[in-house]
Amino acid sequence: MNRIAGRRYLSLALLLWSGWLLAGAAVAGTAPETVCIQCHGGQTGRLQKPVEQWRASIHSRNGISCHNCHGGDPTDFGMAMSPERGFVGAPEKTAIPDFCGRCHVGVKADYQQSAHGRALGSGGPQCVTCHGNHAVTEASLDLINSEACSRCHEYGRAKVLREALGKTDGMISGLEDDFRKLRRVGIDVKELSDRTFALRNQFHRLFHSVDVEQVRSRSAGFQGDLEKVGAEVDSIRATLQQRKATGGIVVGLLVVMGILAMLIRKIYADEESAGPSSRNG
Amino acid sequence: MNLPKKVIDFIDARIGIRDILQQNLTEYLLPRNVNVWYTLGAVLLALFGIQFITGILLLIYYVPNTDQAFASVQRIMNEVPFGWLIRYVHAVGANIIVLALLLHMLSVLFMGSYKQPRELTWVAGFIILLMSLGMCLTGYLLPWSQLSFWATTVATESSNEIPLVGDAVVRFLRGGAMVGQPTLGRFFALHVMGFPFIFGLIVALHLFCVRRVGISRPPFGPEYEPREPPSTFRHEHHEGGIPFFPNYVVKDVAVICFFLALLFGVVFFAPGLFFPPAAFAPADPFLTPEGIKPEWYFLWAYQVLKIFPSEFLGLAVQGLFVTFLLLLPFIDRGRERRPTRRPLFLTLFLAGLAVFIGLSVWGHYS
Repeated sequence: MNRIAGRRYLSLALLLWSGWLLAGAAVAGTAPETVCIQCHGGQTGRLQKPVEQWRASIHSRNGISCHNCHGGDPTDFGMAMSPERGFVGAPEKTAIPDFCGRCHVGVKADYQQSAHGRALGSGGPQCVTCHGNHAVTEASLDLINSEACSRCHEYGRAKVLREALGKTDGMISGLEDDFRKLRRVGIDVKELSDRTFALRNQFHRLFHSVDVEQVRSRSAGFQGDLEKVGAEVDSIRATLQQRKATGGIVVGLLVVMGILAMLIRKIYADEESAGPSSRNG
Repeated sequence: MNLPKKVIDFIDARIGIRDILQQNLTEYLLPRNVNVWYTLGAVLLALFGIQFITGILLLIYYVPNTDQAFASVQRIMNEVPFGWLIRYVHAVGANIIVLALLLHMLSVLFMGSYKQPRELTWVAGFIILLMSLGMCLTGYLLPWSQLSFWATTVATESSNEIPLVGDAVVRFLRGGAMVGQPTLGRFFALHVMGFPFIFGLIVALHLFCVRRVGISRPPFGPEYEPREPPSTFRHEHHEGGIPFFPNYVVKDVAVICFFLALLFGVVFFAPGLFFPPAAFAPADPFLTPEGIKPEWYFLWAYQVLKIFPSEFLGLAVQGLFVTFLLLLPFIDRGRERRPTRRPLFLTLFLAGLAVFIGLSVWGHYS
């Protein structure tokens, strides 16, 4: 009889144990990476460096991996760098605007019309000069600075351009920060975020025009549109404040009810200590 | 004669409802030294009730389809009147339930209430804990967010470590090679029907055992003496005890109110506490988010898996620990329940608690 009971306990234990294995598995392991990252990530020096730089880049954060720019097959070690699978290596300097411009179409058009673009091939800068290659950073005003610009020309004109762009860029950064906070509490800001992203992209095209007058003349329009988005964000914030006020009342009432119930319990406890005669009056 | 009294008289005449209520409420006596930890069962019942109601309300708008699941949750959160409140209460409530379950289990362990003749009550309660974790796990996938998708991908992928049947288990869980619509369908069915149905039966069994055997007397105070376990069934009466209703129910109500205050405090003032940013982005199979960590109650297990050189070994250690806890009443057969008279148990209890907290903190910051 004990042996039968023992077997039953063992079966139950095994059943629950296998259930736990599955639940425990919920917290293990990591997702697989492309063969490009696996191979280059395990190398040293020049061949490994792009992976390290890419990991810290805006491309990495947005899910743009090696094969998105360089082509090839990210799932097959043997064919990863095969031209048959569309692999293209590092482009020549003069070909870089076309390389990046496959995705950044509008920026490429503005760049090509600018003084920077017109100087391509005669020592003028291309995308990588300012943005870096694998360590490409998020486009921001910080890229316009005396150290970077002074590599090619004097900073004065670039500084004027940066000042003209500053207010609008600050509004965009502020809104993006607001969206992050609102998303964290479950607010759907996709529509507002998309509108701002579209405005941001149009505005960032102005960066590449390197034309101060054009920046000044068009900034007011961008700012007006961004203020409309800001008003909607303020309205959402007001709703969230109302929720908090309501929450304060709800939580306060629950605490008061809890305390009242504890006080009633104390009355009962006093009666219980006094004995049954007290309860019966 | 007023209508409610007429209705009660009608029912009473047919099934003797007044007698049942009297036996189970006013004449049901609890030990005089019953403490606040005994309210956790009522707290859990209240929280399970809230989960059940909010779950049904969410079902009205939720669409268990990979193309629409995330959008439907967004709609619940942003368009459905009070949808945000219902969803947050459901999601935060799950975390509060796990907290209450752990406290309940720890208090039962500390007071030795799992011992004979309450082995079945303990086993049913422990299965309730495991099933609650299972419901948390299956509910995680349903919003079809980045967090949902990748947590489930990683979870199911790791089952590969199980010898011989690993690959079959992965395919069985996912319903295919990858996490997708079949996985969502399975998890949805388990979350809203499979688990709750079995869960309800086991909760009923747990409550039946509690009522049938009688509430255990707290092993404290000068009057407490360990008793020889009965060889045949005997309900533990507490002569001269305090009535369950209304004397002790008001304490239940008080602690329920405090737990609800905690729940609504998080919902209204820190709703993002249990939601990392990846929980608010739609699932993207081509973009692995960085730094995904399990929920706080799985952090200890996560860290155990990282400590051991083999994932299977880590899972095996966890499995053995869980099995040990499940079978504890059959392993620890001593009569003594007073913690101060059980130095080995007390040391293991405190060490286990410290390891759980330590591993969880380590897992959080690792």
